[in-house]
Amino acid sequence: MDQSVDNAVSNMPEEIAIPRVNGELVFESPWEARVFGLAVALHEQGAFEWKIFSQSLTDEIASAEKEGESSSYYERWLRALHHVTTGQDLLATREIVDRTKEVQDQADHEHDDHGHDHPHHHHE
Amino acid sequence: MANEDPAILTKALESLLVEKGLVTSGRIDEIVKSYEEDIGPMRGAQVVAKAWVDPEYKARLLVDGRSAIAEFGFTDPHGAELVVTENTDDVHNMVVCTLCSCYPWAVLGLPPAWYKSFAYRSRAVSEPRTVLKEFGLELPESTEVRVLDSNSDIRYMVLPKRPAGTDGMSEEELAGIVTRDSMIGVGEAVCP
Amino acid sequence: MDGVHDMGGMHGFGPIERDELSYHDEWEARVHGISNAMAAPGGGRFSLESLDPAEYLGSSYYTRWLLARINTLLAAGTITQQEFDAAVAKYRANPDSEFPSDDETAYKEAQEAVRERRKKAGDPTFPPGSGSGSSERSLEAKLGVGDQVVAKTIHPDGHTRLPRYVRGRAGEVIRIYRPQGFQDDEPLSDHSGPQPMYAVRFDGKELWGDQAEANSSVVLDMWESYLT
Repeated sequence: MDQSVDNAVSNMPEEIAIPRVNGELVFESPWEARVFGLAVALHEQGAFEWKIFSQSLTDEIASAEKEGESSSYYERWLRALHHVTTGQDLLATREIVDRTKEVQDQADHEHDDHGHDHPHHHHE
Repeated sequence: MANEDPAILTKALESLLVEKGLVTSGRIDEIVKSYEEDIGPMRGAQVVAKAWVDPEYKARLLVDGRSAIAEFGFTDPHGAELVVTENTDDVHNMVVCTLCSCYPWAVLGLPPAWYKSFAYRSRAVSEPRTVLKEFGLELPESTEVRVLDSNSDIRYMVLPKRPAGTDGMSEEELAGIVTRDSMIGVGEAVCP
Repeated sequence: MDGVHDMGGMHGFGPIERDELSYHDEWEARVHGISNAMAAPGGGRFSLESLDPAEYLGSSYYTRWLLARINTLLAAGTITQQEFDAAVAKYRANPDSEFPSDDETAYKEAQEAVRERRKKAGDPTFPPGSGSGSSERSLEAKLGVGDQVVAKTIHPDGHTRLPRYVRGRAGEVIRIYRPQGFQDDEPLSDHSGPQPMYAVRFDGKELWGDQAEANSSVVLDMWESYLT
């Protein structure tokens, strides 16, 4: 990985620093690693400057703290990424909402699938 | 969307961005992998795991640390020598730099602030057992606690003892239980 | 120099605060980058050691690096006080003021000049014999594993890597290293460039007397010049 990308990622200020244990990054679930990688990959591709993302993350964390929310670090990271991708016009809010619903329906469908063996049609 | 399962949200986000050609899933995989396995103390962990399973590698590592870690492609940016010392039941090694903050960057990444603190720098050499206790490690008096003060350009790393009960583990699994603290010598590797 | 940086065994610093971060702020990472990207005239470590003691003890890690680097560059004339004050004023007034662009050619040349200087001085990254050193000295180790040695007693004004807590103490050679470049100033600078080095083990009791913890020791890297 490009040193400057790693520098940007690894050197965020204390208030928004990535959780580590014993020097290593900690992901509580696979999606956390995924959303981490997603933000880094987008930045690497030039989709946004890292300081845009880190500012958004700072804002999300600050407002979450102010509201006394119990959201986790990566939940706030995800919100910041939403904010940045829509703010930078990479995605439209509508698209995200629609796609989220599709993915959710898919997940529910698969969950309900136990024991069924009739053919079904999936959305593309 | 505030109450959505974040895993669902993440998947939705990724799928859209991949569709638009702004990222690839493959690159995301690589990034996650490099942060989980490569950047920082995971390098040292790989070295330790190999030393645990491969006696010849361990022998090479203890004689010439710099060359042995170069076999993984790990090098110190200033070309510093690396000396790896082995923890046994007789000797427990612990690394410090009382004069500044020298640290085995090549295998452990950046040092945590506590390693560079005045408290650690001053106390590690004169009361190592007390310091270790603060880190949650108590050693019997029969084990010598040996503090390595990195006062030259040689960098030190500790090869922690392989914990009991890990015989069936693969090299990759073993790397997963080696902690950065155990490679500085303020902790031990523990069988999960 | 026998400054406050030489703190092995000092009392008063309290419990170790388990601060896991490497950086607390972006500027710290920037200072780290600057320190790595260019050599400090006169030596990076010595510039830190030369900070005013109260400043050293009262500043955070990267603040010390920052102050040390500023001092060194001013002392060497690389930047003038006037230039520096003007730059500070400019960015204080408007942090988003124009920033100069990189001069790759000049940077490469500067790096090459440092390399040459280091090679001549016997930097350990270069093989022994490739530099000139101030006086030729045999690179054959005079001591062997098991030899009993005593660390010299010195009181240097300049840079040294022999901490106060070990001077005059007796120890044992436990390992012989490849020759390493010697970087001390007076009074041991009878030789610069590579010389044999040993890992010497000092028993806890030898260093700390009755205060020593049971079965403890300290190992230091001793250039031959450090040992009697």
